[in-house]
Amino acid sequence: MSEFIIEAVKVSKSFGGLKAVNEVDLQIPQGSIYSIIGPNGAGKTTFFNCLSGFYTPETGDILYYGTPIQGMPTDFIAEQGISRTYQNVRLFSELTAMENVLIGLHNKQNTNWLDALLHSPRFGREDKWSLREAVRLLEFVGLQGYGDFLAFNLPYGLQRRLEIARALANNPRLLLLDEPTAGMNIQETTDITQFIKKLRDELEITILLIEHDMKVVMGISDGITVLDYGTKIAEGSPEEIQSNSRVIEAYLGPGGAALAEKYQNQRRKNNA
Amino acid sequence: MNKDIIRTSRRKGLIFGIVLVFLVLINFHIMIATMISKLLGTNVLRGAFPEARFMIIFLVLYGLWVGWSAVSREGQTKTKLLEGLVAGMTTGFVLVLFGLILFYLLETRTDVRRYLTALSFSSINIFLLDLEGVGVPVHFALSTLTGLFGGALAVGLRSGAVKGFWNNIKSFIINQRQRITEKLPEFVLKYGKYLIYLVLLVVLLMMPSRWGSYNNFVFGMVGLYVILAIGLNIMLGLSGQFMIGIAALFAMGAYSVALLNSPIPHGVMLGFWPSLVIGMLVAVLGGLLLGLPIMRLRGDYLAIVTLAFGEIIRILLNSDLLTDFTGGPRGVQNIQQPRFFGTPFNDVSYAYLIIIAMAVSIFLYYRLENSRTGRAWLAIKEDTLVARATGINVSKYKLLALCIGAAFAGLAGGIFAARNQFTGPNDHTLMVSINVLSVVIVGGMNSIPGIILGSFALRGLPELLRELETYRLLVFGALLVFMMLARPEGLWPSSRPDLEQKGTLGLKEDLYPEEEEEEGRENV
Repeated sequence: MSEFIIEAVKVSKSFGGLKAVNEVDLQIPQGSIYSIIGPNGAGKTTFFNCLSGFYTPETGDILYYGTPIQGMPTDFIAEQGISRTYQNVRLFSELTAMENVLIGLHNKQNTNWLDALLHSPRFGREDKWSLREAVRLLEFVGLQGYGDFLAFNLPYGLQRRLEIARALANNPRLLLLDEPTAGMNIQETTDITQFIKKLRDELEITILLIEHDMKVVMGISDGITVLDYGTKIAEGSPEEIQSNSRVIEAYLGPGGAALAEKYQNQRRKNNA
Repeated sequence: MNKDIIRTSRRKGLIFGIVLVFLVLINFHIMIATMISKLLGTNVLRGAFPEARFMIIFLVLYGLWVGWSAVSREGQTKTKLLEGLVAGMTTGFVLVLFGLILFYLLETRTDVRRYLTALSFSSINIFLLDLEGVGVPVHFALSTLTGLFGGALAVGLRSGAVKGFWNNIKSFIINQRQRITEKLPEFVLKYGKYLIYLVLLVVLLMMPSRWGSYNNFVFGMVGLYVILAIGLNIMLGLSGQFMIGIAALFAMGAYSVALLNSPIPHGVMLGFWPSLVIGMLVAVLGGLLLGLPIMRLRGDYLAIVTLAFGEIIRILLNSDLLTDFTGGPRGVQNIQQPRFFGTPFNDVSYAYLIIIAMAVSIFLYYRLENSRTGRAWLAIKEDTLVARATGINVSKYKLLALCIGAAFAGLAGGIFAARNQFTGPNDHTLMVSINVLSVVIVGGMNSIPGIILGSFALRGLPELLRELETYRLLVFGALLVFMMLARPEGLWPSSRPDLEQKGTLGLKEDLYPEEEEEEGRENV
């Protein structure tokens, strides 16, 4: 057993000549909220896809509790307790919210098609349990009463919550959230931030998120890794990242660090 | 403004005119005139031609349609009438040109049947309304007048007064319905649905022995298509695999029963029931063999491969290679009839067998759909990648869908072969696959009532309307295009179950288990 829930060792993934992820190292302690940030096209989502098994990295290892999982089938990785959400919400949109969550419960269920055909006692028990569990999960994410709506009929914010509920149904130990606050207003963003904290504190799920909203990132992260052009350029606590000159340069371009310093000095003066 | 109107209605008239010309070229007008003639009580012998007055009725109806559809929704009455008139005139103009050509052919006695098979002299005569040259101006006059009348009809029927009348009738019906439902006792409301099912069931059980073997044959075919469509729906509607070769699986079921129950070529005579099970298993095996190489294919590629699979099986059955084994192009004849406790099957027993098989298929389908397996299939159909990331073993479930769907297809095939006492390669053409596909799509994917309705519409009606037989493909295509435009989700679209209600009820039971138990004791 390793103290890190997931560990990436020199992970690289390229598309043609483009190195989307270049020898990235990452260690995420159990029970933390960890963020990956970086400008557009920095390779954050590609890295995510490597973790969840959508892509197989060309070199490097991904260790989950110390055992390598790179190159394993996606469904196997999901079964191990790694759930994810998507940058653009990807629900089963023609199905109801309840069905979405029930599909999320797939790994926790055992009945097969024969049980379904014969309605064996096992099937009855499991059916009842699944429905109850799904209702509980919908309530947990604040979707009670919306269970019988088709997923695409839900408002955007609720679709995001439903996606999280589906991911939680898998009973994950690691939850990968890809831009959970994208396209949300300030109120919704605050709600989601609280909600992410609640996930960690109540369910003890380790959370890895990609996020563009710096307020959210700096507010809840225990650690941050910054990617730029596929390489890791900085790592540390929110405070360290905020004052890191390479990070500021990546976001604002060359000379940005000096500019930022100038503004910070000015602000200090104003405060004084 | 006026010019625009004239231009658009001219275009519409032109389209209608050209369509009519094509219909005449394939002899469609004769068929319609025959049908009208039969409807009005004058029987037309097979191969004979109807009287010209029925052709006039057809033209009048067509002209009214032209005028009706040319009229736009908004605008003044005068412009609306003008639109109908212009459209009718344009159609008439097209018909005049066409009529002149035909008249020329008639006068010079030029036989064009080498190129246009349907265009015989009698057909031309009927088109010219038995008036020869005079028929041409009559066509023009008829089109113009009916176009105008059609426009007037549209104006009249879409006016406020008529709409108000309809609305009155509608609200009257709704009121009456409410009053009746209020008066009904509670148990009828609660169990009304089941009562209707019961009545349907009784009717279904009564009919086969009463309405004659022809109807049994037709509706048996409908039933077999329902089973086939359920099989295809598991592949296409639930797990989202675009399968076009279902005829191959159907053939596997049919040939298993045929070969194991016929004196030639093998003389095995195993009996119907075990061979039906073997047929299903063979179909499952076929589904598995087809499934393994296509697991990585999607969409159009999958469609092409499965289509090829269907054709390969048919061609194999037809080939010299397997003549000794499957009977080749001659097929398998004299299939032994099943016995049920010693009594041999007749058409009524087949009808019952099909009803039972259909009921069991529907029952099993519902059980599958509302289970972990069914939901996994739906997830794969909606978004394969996400389904995989949710922990679903996509390949396994896709294969499972193919196998279970194949079992239904094999069941239908086995019954089909035994009922016809014959099966050959021509029973398993591409057309069968396309028919089943159309049943599922026209009826409504994932919807059992839709599939039943689709089977009736696409298999039952054409059999009953024998007149249409020659033009079945034409009507078929028109129906599909129309359906895709008007109701892309099918005749009876599926709906998702209300699971939250069910789940919440379960939760309550669990929150207050003691109350539940007490109530139970009281009841005891």
